[in-house]
Amino acid sequence: MLYYLTKRLGLSAVVIGLVVLVLFSLLHFIPGDPATIALGPRATEEAIARYAEKMHLNEPVWRQFLIYIGNALTGDLGLDVFSDRPVTAIIMERICFTLALVGAGMGWAMLLGIPLGCLAAVKPNSWLDRVTGVLSVGTIAVPSFLVSIWALLIFAVQLRWLPAIGAGEPGQIGDQLMHLILPAFAIGLSWVGYLARMVRASMLEVMGENYIRSARAFGLQPRRVIFGYALRVAILPTITLIGMGFGGMISSTVFAEIIFARPGLGKLIFDAVMARNFPIVQGAVLVATGLYILVVLFSDILIAWFDPRVRESL
Amino acid sequence: MPKDALHSPETLLDVRNLSVDFRTPQGRVKALRDISFPIRKNRIVGIVGESGSGKSTVLWALLGLLAKNADVMGGEVRFGDRDLLQASEAQLRATRGEEISVVFQDPMTSQIPVLTYGRQMLDILYRRPNVSAAEKRRLAVEMLGKVGIPDPDKRIDQYPHHFSGGMRQRAGIAMALLTGPQLLLADEPTTALDVTMEAQIIHLLQDLQKELDATVVVVSHNLGLIAELCDDVVVMYAGEVIEAGEVREIFHNAQHPYTRALLECDPARIDDVSRKLPVIPGDIPDLTKPRSGCIYAPRCQRALPVCHETLPPDVARGETSLARCHLLDGLHHDPSWPPPLDVMTVGQECSAGTKPARAKHDAALLEVSELNVQFETVGPLRARLKGLSQRHVDAVLDVGLSVAPGETVGLVGESGSGKTTLGRCVLNLVPSQAGSVRFEGKEIRNMPEARFKPLRRDMAMMFQDPVGSLSPRKSVRALITEPFQIHGITGVDLDAEAERLAEMVRLPKHFLSRYPHELSGGQARRVGVARALALNPKLIIADEPTAGLDVSVQGEILNLMADLQAEHGLGYLIITHNLPVVRHIADRLAIMYLGRIVEEGRTDEVFARPVHPYTRALVEGVPQPDPDRRRVHVSISGEVPSLLNRPKGCDFAGRCPFAQDRCRAEKPPHVTMADGRRHACHFPLG
Ligand SMILES: Nc1ncnc2c1ncn2[C@@H]1O[C@H](COP(=O)(O)OP(=O)(O)O)[C@@H](O)[C@H]1O
Ligand code: SF4
Ligand code: SF4
Ligand SMILES: [Mg+2]
Repeated sequence: MLYYLTKRLGLSAVVIGLVVLVLFSLLHFIPGDPATIALGPRATEEAIARYAEKMHLNEPVWRQFLIYIGNALTGDLGLDVFSDRPVTAIIMERICFTLALVGAGMGWAMLLGIPLGCLAAVKPNSWLDRVTGVLSVGTIAVPSFLVSIWALLIFAVQLRWLPAIGAGEPGQIGDQLMHLILPAFAIGLSWVGYLARMVRASMLEVMGENYIRSARAFGLQPRRVIFGYALRVAILPTITLIGMGFGGMISSTVFAEIIFARPGLGKLIFDAVMARNFPIVQGAVLVATGLYILVVLFSDILIAWFDPRVRESL
Repeated sequence: MPKDALHSPETLLDVRNLSVDFRTPQGRVKALRDISFPIRKNRIVGIVGESGSGKSTVLWALLGLLAKNADVMGGEVRFGDRDLLQASEAQLRATRGEEISVVFQDPMTSQIPVLTYGRQMLDILYRRPNVSAAEKRRLAVEMLGKVGIPDPDKRIDQYPHHFSGGMRQRAGIAMALLTGPQLLLADEPTTALDVTMEAQIIHLLQDLQKELDATVVVVSHNLGLIAELCDDVVVMYAGEVIEAGEVREIFHNAQHPYTRALLECDPARIDDVSRKLPVIPGDIPDLTKPRSGCIYAPRCQRALPVCHETLPPDVARGETSLARCHLLDGLHHDPSWPPPLDVMTVGQECSAGTKPARAKHDAALLEVSELNVQFETVGPLRARLKGLSQRHVDAVLDVGLSVAPGETVGLVGESGSGKTTLGRCVLNLVPSQAGSVRFEGKEIRNMPEARFKPLRRDMAMMFQDPVGSLSPRKSVRALITEPFQIHGITGVDLDAEAERLAEMVRLPKHFLSRYPHELSGGQARRVGVARALALNPKLIIADEPTAGLDVSVQGEILNLMADLQAEHGLGYLIITHNLPVVRHIADRLAIMYLGRIVEEGRTDEVFARPVHPYTRALVEGVPQPDPDRRRVHVSISGEVPSLLNRPKGCDFAGRCPFAQDRCRAEKPPHVTMADGRRHACHFPLG
C-alpha cells in the first residue's frame, strides 16, 4: 500500500511537472517577448522592464523554469499582471465556488443516477427501465452549455423561481445554495444518464453472478442482496468512471460559470485568457490539473477500500 | 418410488410430478418431465446423471430460485405440510437458508469476493434478532472450526480469495450449516476440487450429516462420489427420473439399461486396461422435442419397437426401488434382464485395436532433463522495499521426462503442481531457466520463435476447452484447416484436407459447415483433435483432454486418441488430474507435486504398487463407484502448499504420513529403482 501510494504520488508529480512545462513553453516559446505577451501590446516600456525583472525574464529559460517550479512548490504561483496580487490568493478565493459547483453537480447526479441504474437493472424491461433508458440517451446527448442556457432562460428569466447570475451573497448559505441549483443542474444532468447507464450495465452483469444466487439461496432480503451485495461490486467501475469524468466536469464548469457569471476557477481562466493574464492562466490550470489528479487518486483508493483484492495487490 | 414410501413419516421432502420448462429462442426446453421422488429423513440422497439431465434444475426448483425464463408446468414439492411451489416469496425466503440450505458447485464464484466470511455469515443469521452480534460471530467461528478451518477466529475476518479452493468449499459448507437447516442441498460440491480435496470434502459431509442429523441431497455426475457418500440414489436422464433406489441396489443391481450403461462406461470401474472403453452411442435427446415412448430409446441397445411409442411403466422393486423400462414388467417383460454384472451391455464402438507393439528402444521423441522454470513474483523495486531476497518461485524444478514415438505419457498432479507450465515450456511458450528440452535429439529450449515455428508443425497442443478456445464465428471446416493458414502452408486443397481430417476423427461430413455452438461436448472435442492433427504432428500435448465431458462421451475421445496413435505412431503427453483416465490410456505416468516429479514409471506398476506416499494418496483418493468399497479414512489431509513457501526438505513433508526428521531437512533426490521406476522419497513404500 505504502509502495503503491509512493508510486502513484511520484507519477502524479511527473504529470504535474509536465503540465507546468507545457504551460511554461506556451508562454516562453511562442514568438515575441514574453513580457509584452504577458502585459499586452499596450504596455509601457517601463512596465515591461519591471515585469521582466520581477519574472526573472532576463535569466536563461531553464532557470526560469526551475524558479517557477520552486516557487510553485512553496505555494507561490506568481503575481497577477493587473492587480499585482498573488495568484495563489486569487485562485483560493475562487476555487471554493468551483468545488461547490462540481460537488453539487456530481452529487445530485450520483444520488439520482446510481439508484435509477440500480432499479432499472433489477427489473430489466420494466417501465422504469425503459424511462431510464430514454432519459439516459436524451441527457447524454445534450451538451451542458445548452442545458445551462435553457435552464437560465426557463427557470430564472421566465419563471423567476431561481436567481440567474452570480454565486449569492457572501456568508448567506441559503442564498448561495439558491444560486447553486441551476448551474449544478446544468452540469450534472448528462451525468445522471451516464451514471444510470453505467450502473445498470454493471448491475445486470453482477446480478447474474453465482454469488448473488448464493445470497438469494441463503434467504437474504432483496434489499440486502441488491444494495449490500450486487451494488457493492457493481459500483467499482462506476467509481473509476466518476474519477475520470471529473476532468470533463471541470471543463463544463467553464461554460456554466460563464453563463451564470459565477466567480469560479473556470470563469477565472476564461477571463484571464481573454485578458492575456498569463500568470493567472498558468496558475489556475496548474491547480485544476492537480485537483484532477487528486480526484483520480482518491477514486482509486476508494476502489481499493471497497475491493479487498485490489487493496492487497497494491 | 412406491406410493407408501411417499407418504411415510420418514419422508422429509417429496417431489411429485414436477415439470419445468425453459422458454428459449429455440422453443420450450422441457428440462424436467413429470418427475417424482421422495427424500427420506436423515439420509444422504444422490441425484446422478449426465450434464443437461436436469439435476441442477431440480435443486433450484426446490428453492424457488429457477432462472427467470423457467416455467413450472405442474407438480408439487411437499416439505412438511407445505407445497413449496405454492409458497409466497416471503415464505420461501423464510425457508431458504433456515430450513433448506445449499452448498454450491464452484466455491470460486459462488462467494462474494468483497465481503469477509464473518460479514457473509452474519448476514445469513439476520433472522435471529434476539441473538447478539457477538453471539452470532461466536456461532460462525464455531461452525468454521467444525468444518476444519484452522484458526477460525482469525480466518473469519478474511475474504474468500484468501482461502484455497478446498478451504472455500469448507467455508461454503459452514455457511450452509450455520442455521442448522433440516435439508442441505449440494450441487456438484467437489467438481471444482482436486482428488485429495474431494476425498476430504466427501468425508466432511458424511461426518457432519451424522453429527447434525441432517438430510443431505447431493447432485453429481461423479459415480464414485455418489457410491461413497450416498444412501439413496436417483438416476436422471434427459429430464426424467429413470431409476431410483438404495445405493447398493443401484450400483450392484441396476435395472434400467441407462443406469447399467452409465456404470459400465466409468473408467474407474474397468480393471482391464487393455480394452477399449465402452461408450453409449448417440447424444442426449433434444429437449425441445416432445417425447414419444421411452426417452432413452434412441440410444438404448435393448430398445424394442414398443419403446419408441409407449411410455414405459415405473416398475417398483421392494419398498424403495423403482425403474422405468418395458423390459421389467408387462407384456415385454424380459426375465433375462438385467444380465449379471460381468456381462457388458453396451458395445465398444470400434473393437480390436489393442496397443500397438513398439520397438523397445525407440529413440525418444521428446526428452526433457533437469528443466527449471521460474516465475518472477515481485518486481525488483518492490522486493527491495519489502526486503524480500527471493523474487522467483520454481514452478518447475529439475524435471526429467521422455516420450517415445507411439507412447503415451500421463503427467498427473493436483492444480498448481506445474503440469501446464511444463507442457507450455516444452512448446516454447514459457521461457525456462535451466536444463534441456530435446525434440528428436535437437535442443529446443528457449529457441527464438522464428526458428521454433517450423517445429510447431511437429508438436501440437490440444486444448482443454475446445469450444471456448475456438472462434465462434468460424465453421468447423475453417477451424480444422486453420493450422494450415497459421503456418502459411499453401498449395494444399483445404476442402480435401478438411474432409480427410473430419474422417480421421470420425466427424460426419455435414458437420463441416456447422459452428462451434452447434456442437455437443464430444463433437467439439473431436474438432479439437482434428485441429491438433492437421499438420501431421509427431507429438501431441493434450491438456485435460476429457475434462468436462460426460463418461459416456469421454470413452469415445479416449478410444479415438488410441486409434490415431496406433495408426500414426503419435507420441502423447497427457496432462490431467483424472487418474482413472490416465490409467486407461497412459503407458507411463509421471506424478508431479509442487513442480517436481515425485514418481515416474509404468502405469500398471505405479497403480499396483505406488512407491511415493503422494502417489499412493492420489491413487487412493479416487472414490470407487462401488458402495462396498468405501474408504473409512482420508489418506492425506491438508493441501498443496504455496510455491512461495516451498518446504526446505521434501516438498510433501507437511502432509506425508511417513515424514521423518530427515524429510524435513533434506530434499530427496531422484532415485532410479531396479525396475526402471524413478522416485523422489527418502523412505519409499515397499
Ligand atoms: N436458464 C435456462 N434457460 C434455458 N435452458 C436451460 C436453463 N437452465 C437449464 N436449461 C436446460 O435445462 C436442461 C437441464 O439443465 P440442468 O438442470 O442444468 O442439468 P444438469 O444440472 O443435470 O447438468 C438442459 O438442457 C439445459 O440446457
Ligand atoms: S423402455 Fe425400451 S428403450 Fe427404454 S430403457 Fe427400456 S428397453 Fe430401453
Ligand atoms: S521423503 Fe519423507 S516426507 Fe517426503 S514423501 Fe518420502 S517419506 Fe514422505
Ligand atoms: Mg448442474
